[in-house]
Formats: sequence, structure tokens, C-alpha cells
Amino acid sequence: MASREIISYDKGVAVKILKWVSPVFLAFYLVWALLPLFIMLMASIKDLLDAFSVPEPGDWAGITMFFDFSPTFTHYIALFTENNFGTYLFNSLVASIGSAIIAVTLGSMCAYSLSRSEFRFKKDLLFWIISTRMAPIVAVIVPLYAIFRSVDLVGTLPGLILAFTTFNLPFAIWMLKGFFDGIPYAIEEAAQVDGQNRFQAFLTILPLAAPGIGAFVILCILFAWNDFLFSTIIGSGGAKTLPAATKELVQPQNIDWGKIMAAGVITTAPMIPLGLLVRRYLVAGLTMGAVKE
Amino acid sequence: MVAVSFKDVWKDYGSGAVAVKELNMNIKDGEFVSLLGPSGCGKSTSLRMLAGLEHISSGEIIFGDKVVNKLPPKDRDIAMVFENYALYPHKTIYENLANPLRQAKVPADEIKRRVTEAAELLEIEHLLERRPQELSGGQKQRTAIGRAIVRQPQVFLFDEPIAHLDAKLRARMRSELKHLQYKLGVTTVYVTHDQLEALTMADRIAVMNDGVLQQFDTPQQVYENPANSWVATFVGEPGMSLMEMEMTSVEGDMALAFGSETIKLDQKSAARLAAAGKINLLVGVRPDKASVSLEPLPNGIQCEIYSRQLLGADVLVEVEIGKSRVRAKADTSFGGNVGTPCHLNFLSENLYFFDAEDGKVIPQ
Repeated sequence: MASREIISYDKGVAVKILKWVSPVFLAFYLVWALLPLFIMLMASIKDLLDAFSVPEPGDWAGITMFFDFSPTFTHYIALFTENNFGTYLFNSLVASIGSAIIAVTLGSMCAYSLSRSEFRFKKDLLFWIISTRMAPIVAVIVPLYAIFRSVDLVGTLPGLILAFTTFNLPFAIWMLKGFFDGIPYAIEEAAQVDGQNRFQAFLTILPLAAPGIGAFVILCILFAWNDFLFSTIIGSGGAKTLPAATKELVQPQNIDWGKIMAAGVITTAPMIPLGLLVRRYLVAGLTMGAVKE
Repeated sequence: MVAVSFKDVWKDYGSGAVAVKELNMNIKDGEFVSLLGPSGCGKSTSLRMLAGLEHISSGEIIFGDKVVNKLPPKDRDIAMVFENYALYPHKTIYENLANPLRQAKVPADEIKRRVTEAAELLEIEHLLERRPQELSGGQKQRTAIGRAIVRQPQVFLFDEPIAHLDAKLRARMRSELKHLQYKLGVTTVYVTHDQLEALTMADRIAVMNDGVLQQFDTPQQVYENPANSWVATFVGEPGMSLMEMEMTSVEGDMALAFGSETIKLDQKSAARLAAAGKINLLVGVRPDKASVSLEPLPNGIQCEIYSRQLLGADVLVEVEIGKSRVRAKADTSFGGNVGTPCHLNFLSENLYFFDAEDGKVIPQ
């Protein structure tokens, strides 16, 4: 095991300055990253008059105005009663979780076979798989829409799930193949000698790829949840998800800021814990197997 | 329990790489056979073909009277211990041991009984609730053996199971494995690169080199009557020394010319070499059959000490004669050191004779 002792060497002036500058930089960065979220949250529970009351420039004491309001949930209630956000939330959940499950199921099987078998043109096949992710979504959305239209998938949840899966699967295969490559063959061979067939042996080693699968499922959900383009074009009509629905709150004659802020909170809130989770999984996944036992 | 045979088995990986060439071997029911050879000699490949983890390029592998070429591992009724143990890292030791029984659909109370029994036998019963990463190398290795013995398979396959243990533990596991196999009476194939493991444990040793079976015989025969010069130098520790010699005659008697020296032959060896009629020979001598002395000896060969290594009870002295080096054991009181001139001596009846061309032993 490597030593955990921290060795301090003589430092130059530049290092000393950096040591003071970096916390200041981080503090600014924190404000920059968190302030919009904070304002969004505050604005969503204020009525419009409170939300738009800001102090004069330079009036730092007036900052208390920002906190001087009586909280209201009218925007949230209106979203669900007037704007059908219940349906959109449901669509978002089904589309993102559904596509994640399908992509991880197909992806892990495909990744396992690509990891374990050797054949000619394997590298080319792998490259072809990832190359489908190289074109931006905008570039393929028009032909994709035409195809989906002709098979009546536009505006349906299965259609949206299929679209998300198309884009998540290559990513799943590449990411999970790396994880399977790191699992020694001997474990599945032991399983086969123990009396399992190849597929059962694959299921036996599947938990060893859990960090990869966990990280991928979360990234996949994040992608589908945050997606705007597929949702507005493929999902338009019957399968709108939260981002597309939020956009529709911007009407030519009226921009309903209160509702938009509330919709923003509803869309963002569930993804924050997932973001924290993926960080843990990814770190666990990336270091797994890196150091031989 | 079943007899196992290899019949003209070949393994090639395409692109001209041949791992096993025309392997023929009959392993008797209940026998402990060791596949011995250096790394890359095809011994592990042979074992993996037995297990069904590797495709057989041509030939047949037969269990009892059944050709198993096309049977997947799960249908061969084998148990295997892997070099790196290959335990299921996410399962407890109990679950690791229980897995083969679960696959065989053994009832739960029977599983519990047999796992406990195997754990007691291997002294790991206090570890059953732990996971593999919490175990030491020796404990992991016992678990791997436990997973093999819970099921009473037809054949045990061991792939260098104790290669990663420290020397002391290895010595202990050798005798325990031997004892276990004797008690269970299961046909066993044991792959190792360590000739000591093969000599101490096996009923018969199959020595392999470069994908070719060199010799398949009892440990004693392999040690005392090696089939060729390669086996002779591979088996035995410290290893046999080989010297290039030529047949010659001294005053009408047959003798060996070794550089500028001549070595007289006893009658039996002379008759044997005369019958073979070879001129160029490789002559081997085991270190414990050769002696060195600082004083001139009657039939001694003049030489110089190349190195001196203490083995504990005695000293291994390597001497240089022209281009050849010969190892000999000497008493710890032997005074010579590197560079000291000395005299080497051995009896011709203790020598091994091989054909210099193909390395084959000169027939008795």
C-alpha cells in the first residue's frame, strides 16, 4: 500500500499565491453555479410582484427585499391543475427509466459478447457502433422524424423510448465493455465448471459490473430527462416530457415566469441526487480493477 | 470417478501458433497425474481442454468411454481450482462453496451439511460469512479447493493452485492436497511448473515442453530414467548438468573424450554406448553424484570454481571446464571459492547418456 503521509516540500512563491487564490476562485465558482438554482427556487414560491421586486443598483441594504415575501405554492398547483404537468412528469419518468432499462439490458449483453469474443473486424464494428453517436442529434432528427412518422411512432411513449435508446445504446456498449474487460475470465469459467451455462455465468459476473451499470443507468436517465429535441419533435403530441412542456409556457402574449420557475424546480430537483450518485458510481467504476489485488 | 484419455489431441490457435501437439495420454481411474513443464508448454491449455473451457482443434478427449469434445463444462462433472482462485468476489465464502451444489439442485439442508463438512475439512468454517477480499491467500486457496470438493466430481482439475502461496504454506498445502486426493480417490490432473510439486504429489508425471509430451511415467522413473536431456535437466533440484563428450578409445577400451580429458567407462555403460553406436553424446550428472575437491583425485578432471552457493546442509559448487559448467554438491567445510582451481570427479555408472543430436536417452 502506498504511504498516506503527506510530504511537504519547499514551495515557490507561485505555489504560495495559488494556495490563497484557489479558495477565492472556488468561492466565486460556487456562487456562479448555485445562484441561478437558488433564484429559481425562490422565484417559484413568490407571487409575480415579489419576484420582480429588486433593490436599486448599489443599495446593498435592500438585499433583504429579496427575502421579504410570503411563500406561495400557487404556481406549482397551477402547473398540475391547469397545465397537465402530472402527465408530463409521468412521460418523463417512463421515457427516461424505460429507455435506461432497455439500453442497459441490451447494452450489457452486447458489451459482454464484444468483450469476450474475438473475430475479424471487431475493432471496426466497435468503431461503427460509437460512430452513430458522433453526429449531433439535430443532424439526424429530420430523417428520424420521417421514419418514425411512417411507422406511427411520433407522439407515443414507445417512440420516444426507442429514440432515446437509439442514442444511449452505443454509449452503453462502449462503457460496459470496458467494465467487462476488467473482469477476469476465470470467474465466469469457475461458474461454468460449477455447472452453469454461458448465460448463467454471464449473470453471475453481472454484479461485478454493477458500478458501471449503475453509472450508465443514471447517465442514461439524465440524458433522457434533460433531452429537449427528441421530446419536442418525436414526442410532440402525446408524449411530451417536462423540458418540452416547460418551453410551451412561453406564450407570445404572456411569459408565465412563476410557472416556468416552478417547472424548472420540478425538472431539476429529482436529478440532483442522481448527479451525486453517479459521481460515486463513476469513481468506484473507474478505479475498480485498476490495481491488482 | 472415471478414467481420462487424450487421443491425438491437437490445439492450435490459428495463425500458426500450436499449443499442444499430438497429445496421447491415458489417466487411470483415481490416479493423481501432474502436468509438468515451463510456462507456455501447453500444460494449462491441455487442462482447459479437459475442462471444456478451450476448444479442441483435433483429436478426442474421453472420460470413461464417453467422448466429451462437444460437452460444455457444466455437463462434464468436473471441478476445477484456478491459479488465481477465481472466487466470486461479491458472494460470501458460504455462497462460494454452495454454488456448485445449487447448480446441481441439491436440497438446502443437504447443501448446508456438505458446505459445513468441506469447510471443516479445510479449516475455514469460521470464515463462511466473510467475503473473498477479507481472506488471506491461503484461505482463498482453501475456499477454491472447498468449492471443488463439495460436489464429489468425476475429475479434479488443478491449475497451479498453490503457485501464489508463500513457501511454507505451499509445503503444507502439498501434503494436504495429496492427503485429500488419496482420501477422496477422485481422478486428478494437476498442472504445475514446479517440479518439486509434481515429484512429491503425483502418481505419474506428464512432462511437457513446447506442446509436446516428453515423458509420462512415475516420479521415480522420470527422475531416475529421464527420456531425454530436456526432461533430465528440468526435473530435479538443483538440476542435472550436461556435458558435451565424444566416444573415443584408450588402450583398446572405450572411453569418453571431454575436452582434453578422457573419462574411463565401466563395463555396463561401455556396452550400452557400443550398442548405440553414437559418437557425439550429451552426458549428464546430478549434483549429488559428482564431487569436487581441492586436492588432485585419481580420475579427477581439472577445473575452476565458477560459483559457490550454500544450500543449508551442504554447498552447491559450480565448476567450469572449458565451455561446460557442472554442478556438484560438497560438504559445508569445502574451502574453495570463486576462481579457485579444483578437481571434479564422478563415477561413470552414475552418468546419464543422451544422443547429442536429438537429446534422446541412449537405450539401456
